[in-house]
Amino acid sequence: MVDAAPWWSLFVAPALLPALAVFAVAADALLIAREAGRPAGVVTAGRRLLEVPRLLVAQPRRTPSSDTLLRRAGVVTVPVAAVLAVLVVPFGRRTVGDLSVGVVWFNAMEVLTWAGLWMSGWGQNAAFSLIGGYRYLAQGLAYELPLMFALISAATGAQSLRVGGVVAAQHGLWFAVWMPFAFAVFLTSVSAFSFLGPFSYPAGRDIAGGVLGDTSGADRLLLQAGRWLWLAAGAAMAVPLFLGGGAGPGPAPWAWSLLKTLAVLVALVCIQRRFPMVRADRYVEFAWVVLVPLAVLQALVPALVVLNR
Amino acid sequence: MDLRAVLLRATAARPRVLLLTMPGATAVRLAAERELRRRDLPEARTPAEANVLFVAGAVGPSLEPAVDRLWRDMPAPRVRAHARTADEVAAAVAASRVSLATPLPRPGIEGHGEGTHHHGGGHGDGTGMPAGPAMAERGPDRDGLALDRVHLSFGPFLPDWPAGLTMRLTLQGDVIQRADLAESLWGATAAVSPYWTEPWTRAAAGEEVLLGEAARRRAAAHLDSLGRFLAVAGWPGQATAARRLRDDLVAGAEAAAVRPRAERFARRTGRSRTLYWLTRGMGELSRAEAEAAGVSGPAARADGDVPARYREWLTAVVDDVARLDDRTRLNDRRPLGDRRRLYDHSRPNDQDRRDDRDRRNDRNRRADQDRPDDHSRPSDQRRPDDRSPHDPAAPHGPRGRLDGPRPPSAALAAVLPRLLAGAEVAAARLIVASLDPDPDELAAQLPAAARG
Repeated sequence: MVDAAPWWSLFVAPALLPALAVFAVAADALLIAREAGRPAGVVTAGRRLLEVPRLLVAQPRRTPSSDTLLRRAGVVTVPVAAVLAVLVVPFGRRTVGDLSVGVVWFNAMEVLTWAGLWMSGWGQNAAFSLIGGYRYLAQGLAYELPLMFALISAATGAQSLRVGGVVAAQHGLWFAVWMPFAFAVFLTSVSAFSFLGPFSYPAGRDIAGGVLGDTSGADRLLLQAGRWLWLAAGAAMAVPLFLGGGAGPGPAPWAWSLLKTLAVLVALVCIQRRFPMVRADRYVEFAWVVLVPLAVLQALVPALVVLNR
Repeated sequence: MDLRAVLLRATAARPRVLLLTMPGATAVRLAAERELRRRDLPEARTPAEANVLFVAGAVGPSLEPAVDRLWRDMPAPRVRAHARTADEVAAAVAASRVSLATPLPRPGIEGHGEGTHHHGGGHGDGTGMPAGPAMAERGPDRDGLALDRVHLSFGPFLPDWPAGLTMRLTLQGDVIQRADLAESLWGATAAVSPYWTEPWTRAAAGEEVLLGEAARRRAAAHLDSLGRFLAVAGWPGQATAARRLRDDLVAGAEAAAVRPRAERFARRTGRSRTLYWLTRGMGELSRAEAEAAGVSGPAARADGDVPARYREWLTAVVDDVARLDDRTRLNDRRPLGDRRRLYDHSRPNDQDRRDDRDRRNDRNRRADQDRPDDHSRPSDQRRPDDRSPHDPAAPHGPRGRLDGPRPPSAALAAVLPRLLAGAEVAAARLIVASLDPDPDELAAQLPAAARG
């Protein structure tokens, strides 16, 4: 079903992911313009991208006695991990690297973001950045376990940790249909690991931007890009895990992959603006008391189905 | 054309603006926020991401060091803009953008990077030492463990924070052990006339002010507070909705046009289970405690935690928006039955006005002489039902009754240290935003000598 793509695809994936991220940013800009009562058009969406040249020309800036190595490593980790994560995501019938443990690879890359954000928060040697870094860890504690059970549900249903195997197992019936809870948990977690919308707690306005607060120039650009790249990566991963990958009637599989990814992205961007920011101390209680038991039950469903097959 | 010029032009097309409002400059702030929203110029949260430092109002000597520090912390390209009045805002924004796009070698660009020493934390003072913030010392925490203590200042400038208010915090982890109010930093240069209580001030000066006009101002004030609260709560869409409603009210929009929008906004915010779940149980302030501390108005009426307070604001907004066309005269001390007569003659005669003024002076003199004994006040000012903010005879400003010995915001600020002790940093911001003392009122209460 899913084959390894030629070597040059290694360069296509890192180009496609930013394109998806830009699409998400543009959709977000349109929503904001509508809320603010400005005309929502192509110009509005494009104006948001002026942030890139703005940050490129900005003077780099350091806080006193900051840990440069830690900070740089952290800042770079976030977007790089997002790009690495999508290497296992099939686009149509092709994937850059169809690892036998693809699902675990995605999860591992996502956990790298924990380290990345914490390092950049700590390395800046400023109170609000530090609080922001710790907030991401607290948020991670809340979202990670339900997310892992959601991934396990899909993998159990397919009896494979290979992303290609998960796609093949959905022949006829999408996992989103008979594992709706796992799908919902996965989408929530996508917002959480990209620390956007209701999960922007680590970069909250109440702590003046948190992990982002004291960054400027290229550092800030990388962190901001990392957030949207992760949102795009999560949306791209939702397609093979729960929406049948490139399967569909009519157009080519790659077109279906693209279409489904864009649909998930738009849904994520729209839902995100409908909720206030979730504080991790309250969310962790909900996640452990409500989400984890339900996620375990959800994982039980495919396990029983597979056993009785 | 060189690359740098192109990048600078892109920056000038959509710069981020750090908006600093001086106490007493609420009208300028409203104009600036409206201008920035209309032109899609996003607000910066910190100096690190800002290109334009926009100062609204006159900078008093006590706040000057804080403003200068924020300016020093801004990376190039950067410009400074200043608007003293609301009319100057548009021109100042336009001028700052032109100046940003000019690729002149501005002084301070070269060799500035290493010199920009900044402590990123509270934007407060007291931590800007050359080697960074002071080392933490240890102290027992609430569980009896010895934990590091960090001293931080919140304010005088933070996004969505009452400008000029400065809280000195002692933190262990992100739990506030102790909070103190630094009263000296409210600074204003000249006598401040608070914007949100203007109708009541005018009525007290003998002018004819209609209840509808006061209700409009009070609704706008509550929406302003709600906008700040929702922004701190991380719900930018609803915060924008609150601010747009506020601006439309201030601009004099028709009651029929505003009412359905206000009701929709109140419904959506008030019924949000997520917002309630995230804020419940924080900053409990019972009515009895509030009144003992001199707090009146919505914070006392709410009689509870943060959700109780924002819901009280929402109720008040809907109530006030329903009264925009009320033509009862403010400060009308006649019994309700007689009030109908007002419709016959629209302006009070001079004798009435003089009477009003005499009565007010009389009251002030009495309040000065024997302040502790509140019962000596005429009975019509101490009504048994303090709950109705729509009583035209009682000056119910947005933050509380305006006929007390000090402005209602001073009482709100005074309860902060007690409410913040034991809260986490995130909760602390929400508690402050849910009480929202008005910096104008705080600055106005200072005697001229303290303003420096």
